[in-house]
Amino acid sequence: MNMQDAWVLPLLPAAAFVVLALFGPYLPRRGDFLAILAIGATFVLTLPIIADFTDALAMQGEEFVGVANSIRWLEVPGQLELDLGIHVDGLTVVMLVVVSFVAFMVQVYSLGYMKGDERYGWYYAVISLFAASMIALVLADNFLLLYFSWELVGLCSYLLIGHYNHLRSAAEASKKAFITTRIGDVGLLIGIILLWTETGTMNIQGVIEAAEAGAIGDEKFTAAVVLLFLGAMGKSAQFPFHVWLPDAMEGPTPVSALIHAATMVVAGVYLVARTLPLFELMSGGTELVLAIGLVTTFMSAGMGLVMTDIKRVIAYSTLNSLGLMFVALGVGSPAAAMLYLFTHAFFKALLFLGAGSVIHATEQQDVSRLGGLWSKMPLTGAMFAIGALSMAGLPFLAGFWAKDEILVALLENRAAFALVLLTLPMTALYMARVFILTFLGETKDEEARELAHESPPSMLVPLGLLTVLTVVAGFVVFDQVGEAMGFPGGIGEVIYLHDPHAFEFDVAVTLGSIGLVALGLLGGWYAYAVRIELPARMTATFRPVHTLLVNKFYMDDLYQAIIDRIILAISRMLAWFDRNVVNDTGIDGPALATGFAAYLTKFQQTGKLPSYALAIVIGIVALACVAFSLKV
Amino acid sequence: MDTVTQQIPLEHFLVVSAIVFSIGIYGVLTRRNAVLILMSVELMLNAASINMVAFAAYTSPQVMTGIIFAVFIITVAAAEVGLALAIILRIFRNRGTSNVDEVNQLKW
Repeated sequence: MNMQDAWVLPLLPAAAFVVLALFGPYLPRRGDFLAILAIGATFVLTLPIIADFTDALAMQGEEFVGVANSIRWLEVPGQLELDLGIHVDGLTVVMLVVVSFVAFMVQVYSLGYMKGDERYGWYYAVISLFAASMIALVLADNFLLLYFSWELVGLCSYLLIGHYNHLRSAAEASKKAFITTRIGDVGLLIGIILLWTETGTMNIQGVIEAAEAGAIGDEKFTAAVVLLFLGAMGKSAQFPFHVWLPDAMEGPTPVSALIHAATMVVAGVYLVARTLPLFELMSGGTELVLAIGLVTTFMSAGMGLVMTDIKRVIAYSTLNSLGLMFVALGVGSPAAAMLYLFTHAFFKALLFLGAGSVIHATEQQDVSRLGGLWSKMPLTGAMFAIGALSMAGLPFLAGFWAKDEILVALLENRAAFALVLLTLPMTALYMARVFILTFLGETKDEEARELAHESPPSMLVPLGLLTVLTVVAGFVVFDQVGEAMGFPGGIGEVIYLHDPHAFEFDVAVTLGSIGLVALGLLGGWYAYAVRIELPARMTATFRPVHTLLVNKFYMDDLYQAIIDRIILAISRMLAWFDRNVVNDTGIDGPALATGFAAYLTKFQQTGKLPSYALAIVIGIVALACVAFSLKV
Repeated sequence: MDTVTQQIPLEHFLVVSAIVFSIGIYGVLTRRNAVLILMSVELMLNAASINMVAFAAYTSPQVMTGIIFAVFIITVAAAEVGLALAIILRIFRNRGTSNVDEVNQLKW
C-alpha cells in the first residue's frame, strides 16, 4: 500500500454503507460485522501508508512535501478543468490514524451499546459513511472533494444525532446541528468559489501558491479567507456557532464520541491547519482565529462548571479543547494544534465511551442523580478517571503535552496566555466534579444503583485500548519516541511539514500549569467529596454568575430572539406575499377569470339541438364569407 | 351526338344542388322530429353528391375521382342512417318522444 493508493481508504467504509443501506435487513446481524470489517481494514491499511510516508520522509528529508494522485474529473475545453484527487502529507497521515482508529473503536463499542436498537443496521450504515466521508475529507487535495466530504460529514452527523427520531428533542437537536453548521458551510462554499474564480484552480496547494504570489486582490482575499473560516467555525462549533454541540448529545453516546473525537468537529481545525498559509497572508487572519478560539475556550470552561448532564459536561470540555486548538493555530503553532487534536481524540473518545458505559448501565445521565458507581463498575470508573485527568491536563497523560505546547507558543501574547491559564483550573475543576459526582459519594438514585453493572467486553476492550493510548500517546512529543516509530527528526517534523517545529518545554510554564491543574483538581475534590455542601453555598453566593452559566450565556435565547424577531418576521412577510400575490393573484386569479368566463358562456349550452344546428350553420356561413372576402 | 354536358350548362346542376342543400338546411333547422331532421340531412348529402358528379363530368370526364366520391358519400349516408335510426329508436323507447327539442337534458 503506497501513499498513492490511499484513495482506497474511504471507499471501504463507503462500500460498507452501500451494502448495509441496501441489503442490511437481509444480512445476518444486520451486517454490523461488514461495517466493522471495513473500518478495521481501513485502519490496518493506514499502517503501510504511514510506513511508506516515513520511508519517503527519510529518503527526501525536508524536500518532501507529500504525494498527490489526482484524476481529471470534469473538463470543458478552454473554460473549465476540475481535478479530483488525494494528497498525503504529515497532516493527512495524522488525521488518517486518528479517524480510522477512533471510528474503529467506536464501531466495536457500538456492538454492545447499540444492541437491540430498532435501527441497528441503519446506524452501522450511517456510521460507516461518516467515517468514509471524514477520511475523504482529510485526503482531499482540492477544495471540491473537500467540500463534498464536508457536506457528507454534516449529513451523517444530522442522521446520527437524530438517531432516536421518536424523541422530539433528538429531532430538534439534529436540525439545530445541521442548520447551524450549514450557515458556516454556505460561507465555505462561497469562499471556495471566490478563491476559484480568482485563482482558476480548486487545488488547495495551488490556491495557496497563487495567494502567496499575490494573485488575489486584497479585499476579495480577505473575504474568501473569512468565509473559509466561517465554515471551519460552524463545523468545529466555535463561538458563536457553538450552540449545536451540546444539543448534539441527544444522539447515541458512541456517536458523540465519534463526532467529538474524530469525524466532525476536528474537520474545522483540519481545514484551518490545511489552509493556514492563507490566514497568515491575510492581515488580521491569525488574530481572528486566536480571538475566536479564546472566546470559545473561556466560555465553555465556565459552562462546563455548572452543567449536570454527564455528556453535556464532556461536550463543553470538547468546546474547551477545540478553542485551544484554534488558539494554537492562531498563534502560528499548527504542530501544537495537531498534537492536541491527535491526543485529544483518544481521551475524548475514552471519556464519551466511559460516559456511555455509565448511561448504558444506569439509563441515567444526570450527574446529580448518579453517584457511588465505583463499586459497581470499577473498570469503567478507573478508565473514565484517566480520561478526565488527561482532559484536565495532569502531567504525563496525553492531554498534558499538547496543552503545554500551546502555552509555550502563547508566551509572547500575554493576554491570551493569561486567559488560557485561567481556564486550566476551571477545566480541572469540572472534570473532577463530573467524575466525583458520577463515581464517588452517595448514590442519589437507588434505581440507577440497582441497574448499574460492568459493561460487556465489546465495550470494555475499546475503552481499554483508548485508555492505553491516553496514557502513552503524549510521549510522541519526544524526538526519541518519534525516531523509534520511524519518524526521522521526531513527530514535530512530521505533523506539519510546512513549518517544522520541535517541541519545546519551558520549565516555569510547565510547573505553573501543573500547579493550576492541581489546584483545580484539589478544589474539585474538596468541594464535591469533602465539603459537599460547598457547591450549593457557592451557587447561592454567586447567583447571577451561576444563572448566566446555566443559561449558556443566553446564546440560545439570543438565537431564538433573532429567529423570532427577524427571521420569522421576514418569513411572515414572504408568507403574506406568497399567499396574497403568488397564490391568490398569480394562481387563483387566472383560475377565477377562466371560471367566470365559463360562467358567462355556459348558458349557450342549452341542450336544444336546433339551436346548436343554427349555430353551426351561422358559423359555416360566416366562415364562407370570410373565405370569399379573402379570395376576392 | 350531343351529350348531356353539351346541352345543359354546369351552372344548372349547381343551382339545383344549392336549392336542394338549402331545403335540407331549412329542414334541419325547423323540423322537431328527429326522423325528419335525418331526412333533411340526407337531402344535404345528396346535394353535395350532385355537386361532385357534376364537376366530375364537366371538368375532367376521364378521371373518376368525383364519381367515386359520390359513391362513398352514398355509402357513408347509408351507414349513418342505420346508426342514427338506432339512436332515435333508443331515445324514443326511453323518453317516449322523438322530438329533439324535448331531449334537452345535456346542458349546463
